[in-house]
Amino acid sequence: MSSSAARRVAQLNAHLTDAPVDQIQRFPTAARKSPDDIVVVSALRTPITRAKKGGLKDTPADDLVATLLKATVDRTGLDVNDVGDVVVGSVLGNSSQRANECRIAMFLAGFPQEVPVRTVNRQCSSGLQACADVAAAIKAGYYDVGIAAGVETMTSNPMKWEGGMNPRVASSSDAQSCLIPMGVTSENVAERWEITREQQDTLAARSHARAAAAQRDGRFDSQIVPVRTQWRDPKTGEVSRIVVDKDDGIREGTTTTTLAKLPAVFKKGGSTTPGNASQVSDGAGCVVLAKRSYALAKGLPIMGRFVSFAAVGVDPKVMGIGPAVAIPVAIEKAGLRSVADVDLFELNEAFASQATYCATKLGLDVEKVNVNGGAIALGHPLGATGARCVATLMHEMQRRGARNGVVSMCIGSGMGAAGVFELEA
Amino acid sequence: MGRFKTQHNGYSLAFSPFVEGRVAVTTSQNFGIIGNGVQYVLEQRGGPGAPLVEVARFDAADGLYDCCWSEENESVLVSASGDGSVKVWDVAAPPQANPLRSLEEHTHEVYAVHWNQVRKDCFLSASWDDTVKLWSLAGPPASLRTFAEHSYCVYAAVWSPQHADIFATASGDCTLKVFDARTQFSTLTIPAHEYEILCCDWNKYNDCVVATGSVDKTVKLWDIRSPRRELACIAGHQYAVRRVRCDPWNESIVYTCSYDMTVAMWDYKTQSMGGTVGGGIAAPLRRWGHHSEFAVGLDASVLAEGVVGSCGWDEQVAVWHRDTDPAMM
Repeated sequence: MSSSAARRVAQLNAHLTDAPVDQIQRFPTAARKSPDDIVVVSALRTPITRAKKGGLKDTPADDLVATLLKATVDRTGLDVNDVGDVVVGSVLGNSSQRANECRIAMFLAGFPQEVPVRTVNRQCSSGLQACADVAAAIKAGYYDVGIAAGVETMTSNPMKWEGGMNPRVASSSDAQSCLIPMGVTSENVAERWEITREQQDTLAARSHARAAAAQRDGRFDSQIVPVRTQWRDPKTGEVSRIVVDKDDGIREGTTTTTLAKLPAVFKKGGSTTPGNASQVSDGAGCVVLAKRSYALAKGLPIMGRFVSFAAVGVDPKVMGIGPAVAIPVAIEKAGLRSVADVDLFELNEAFASQATYCATKLGLDVEKVNVNGGAIALGHPLGATGARCVATLMHEMQRRGARNGVVSMCIGSGMGAAGVFELEA
Repeated sequence: MGRFKTQHNGYSLAFSPFVEGRVAVTTSQNFGIIGNGVQYVLEQRGGPGAPLVEVARFDAADGLYDCCWSEENESVLVSASGDGSVKVWDVAAPPQANPLRSLEEHTHEVYAVHWNQVRKDCFLSASWDDTVKLWSLAGPPASLRTFAEHSYCVYAAVWSPQHADIFATASGDCTLKVFDARTQFSTLTIPAHEYEILCCDWNKYNDCVVATGSVDKTVKLWDIRSPRRELACIAGHQYAVRRVRCDPWNESIVYTCSYDMTVAMWDYKTQSMGGTVGGGIAAPLRRWGHHSEFAVGLDASVLAEGVVGSCGWDEQVAVWHRDTDPAMM
């Protein structure tokens, strides 16, 4: 059904519905434009490469961010003097140092001193949270255009716990659950909802197959900004100048048979393996958000609209179920009636177990979810993932003319986040 | 008096202000959701009692939702189109000359058009793009003004029958607004219903009284000099009130049609107490049940007292005297 037909049906439904007007009016707003809309001007990412092995292993975080910022300005014609804030999702990098690195990145990208920057950390959703923060600030009237980014170099900043533990943790089972390793939460999900090893390996194989096809067909090209950098050969120690322009974690030809050979690593007799969990990666993403009136006045491209966002807490023991809780909240805020009204999902594959659970629980159509593969094939640079997913989603929505799409991920310590985006008609 | 079967689903009906027995009927394929639109002109030739016959038919590539006649040229009428355009037709012109104009400025569905009855040289269009535009066929094919004050779809824009520059608008933002085209902003905003307002009309005898019809199933009468409270509220339909028309012949008579498939006639001065919002249904002076689908088009003739017309999604057009029942025709 064409979008105008869908809108007309919605309008008519509203006239016949016995619901208060604040509810019935949210649905038909979907296809409508307002000068106050928050629009996506640009959504780009670096290639996502394998930590410690891949093409970006010797590239510092500030270079990743600077490369994206510069490309974003070059491609959109954005006037950097107008940028009200740059918000960068970052999870593992030392907090204060990373904030400073982001400031450095802006100068490397040629931004003036006047433009501020900060980091945001909501674990794996940080890149999406950055988008939500910028959208909220624009809504609040703090500024008209802002940049939401995300960066992670898991090569130099591995996941770890520093310092001691608060002994009072023992007094709360939820608090204790926050300390459970992520892989174990995956096993918890698989066990509690009986997600089999076969189901998980099937999802993982599909992720690789779809990502490989997308890469082969050049479907990532428009969203990837090549990174000029240096790379040290681990065998010879030789440092060379290279251009990284492709994701390097995708393994074409991965099948359930090859995946079935991998051992479970988090639990004896478990089902989560390195093959059906997300890859440890380096990379960055960058999204420009603006008030529609500003974008129109400056002649900036408009890819679509940032419609809604929700972050919701869940039991930390099974943190992977987060999207199953957050997605319904976000789509309701967007005025959509059900997941059936959503054309595409970027549902982060932290683990095949939780991705399978969430898709099943919500009744998602497998042909709409991670159509170009997910984190199992592409990798999961924690702080960058949200912005990476937005880039992948927006470009795919444009490519296939999807009306709308959702970005969602689970969050360590027990949360889910989801954002709804809409293609510009 | 007369019935006619249209090819598609009816959306609006308007009596000609020049030719007695002539009506314009707007229809859309597939309930106006997707497909073409047809603007008919029908006539009862041979006086009352004669059947309605087609005298003109204009095709459009998208649904047509409303129509109105020119007040200065008896053969000209305009239609509101789903593609955001306003089509201008001339019954006297050869088929290939139609539409005379296609005015393309609205960015979403145009849902209503209304011709100025005092100045007679301009008309309004109301659109789902939240704006109302003022047009004149004299001069270049661009709108004279755009009124962008509603925050949601505008479903109706109706000129005052007595003042050349005053008009009222009904919107899904739950407000009725009154504009004076000589001033920059609206002069009055009434949060008239808790639900979307789908229609409005001016009383022809009292230039301060406006009727509104809403998704809340009621019709309210307002005195715009004291907008804090309605003059009357008639809860007389089981679904949204799609159109309301103040009778040109009797000050207190109001006609309504509804998604509940009925057309009804009310005396607002005696029936204001009837029913309450969410409570029982008020009894009208008359209720007609000749439509078997949504009754969405409604008009009362200014040339023949007591003659009303309706059309609906059942592809039926009826023109009858209010003392009769078209179901019997």
